[in-house]
Amino acid sequence: MENVKILICDDSVLARKQLKDIIKKCGYDNFIEASNGQEAFDRYKEEQPDLAFLDIVMPVKDGVEAIRDIRGFDPKAYIVVVSSVGTQTQLKNAILEGARDFVQKPFSSSAIAEILKGRFEGR
Amino acid sequence: MHTQFFGNFLLNKGVITPEQLIEALKIQSSTHKKFGTLAIHSGYMSASEVADVYITQTHYDKRFGELAMELGYLTPEQVDKLLTIQLPNYMLLGQILVDQKILTHIELENLITEYKSEYEIYELDMMEEQKNLVDKLLSSLYLPEELPNTQNIISYLTLLFNNLVRFIGEDFTPLNIMTLPEVPTSFCVSQMVDGSFAFMSALDMDPETAIAFASRYVDEEFNEFDEYVSASMEDFLNLHNGLFSVNMSNDYTLELHLQPPAAHENTVLATESPCYLLPVIYSFGTVNFIFSVTS
Repeated sequence: MENVKILICDDSVLARKQLKDIIKKCGYDNFIEASNGQEAFDRYKEEQPDLAFLDIVMPVKDGVEAIRDIRGFDPKAYIVVVSSVGTQTQLKNAILEGARDFVQKPFSSSAIAEILKGRFEGR
Repeated sequence: MHTQFFGNFLLNKGVITPEQLIEALKIQSSTHKKFGTLAIHSGYMSASEVADVYITQTHYDKRFGELAMELGYLTPEQVDKLLTIQLPNYMLLGQILVDQKILTHIELENLITEYKSEYEIYELDMMEEQKNLVDKLLSSLYLPEELPNTQNIISYLTLLFNNLVRFIGEDFTPLNIMTLPEVPTSFCVSQMVDGSFAFMSALDMDPETAIAFASRYVDEEFNEFDEYVSASMEDFLNLHNGLFSVNMSNDYTLELHLQPPAAHENTVLATESPCYLLPVIYSFGTVNFIFSVTS
């Protein structure tokens, strides 16, 4: 699992910490972090992670725009949208832009484990 | 739910001082049992089931018992049973004030009678949280007369009080709302919400209060005012506004769009409209809630 790189993009340092804590318990600990959509796109191009968690509502560039950019750069990008309550419309747009899955805050360990299993099982 | 209104009633009557109320709330907070805890103690639910309901509550504006039934953790009979053993909180607050020798039993009895007749409370069951009752209390106690979009704001404040109860604790008392052209803040997080009911919302508190607020919200002990504490305040505000936007969409087909929350230090909040400042007194400090309707 050491070679697996996971991008976590959220403007909330608390949300990033909570997500990292759950993912670490699942055995993955190679993280790339970003705090807005532009930074996520820049870091994605540099590191080309195996999985990206992207918040929807962020400053500078939101999650939907970041998904569009990332998918333009890498059509096979595996992106999971992190949604908060009240962002249903944006969530729908994110899925239309090519997000593979979504998870709602606050994070449930089992939902994250399922996403990791779906992405990395059988690699 | 109604402890805070009874507390405000006593303050407005001049029966107790804010300091006495804070002291009583401190004692009450250490003796309070949450509905979930009662469910565990009664053997009706496991701790993980209770945690599941608390998480689900962050997605839906529903009461604990209602969600627990929907999730199949409790039967209606069990909820009824738990409701009967829930401590009636304003009675508890009154009892603490008697214990502190601030009130006599007779004074308390008279004040409760007066409070009940003034606000037409016939139910002693504090878990009822009836929306109409809360709306009535809000309109009669706290709202400035010139408030725009009153119905939306009442819905917003009702949800705020419910969210404070759910996520921070019910040992609080809201004071009367102040109308101000601008609000100087200390450690503040704000969030703009766009749409046909656009508004600015913010939480402001001193660092010590913020640490205690974040510790309760995240259920993790914070010891210093750091980025996690600030992010916890943002998260609460974002969650609250998110739930409000869902309610507005469901109830009034009013679509709102949340901007990312932002943190500020020692700034002055102002919009082109008046700002409304609602101080909420907790046992650990005062949380200032600031609100301004921008459209």
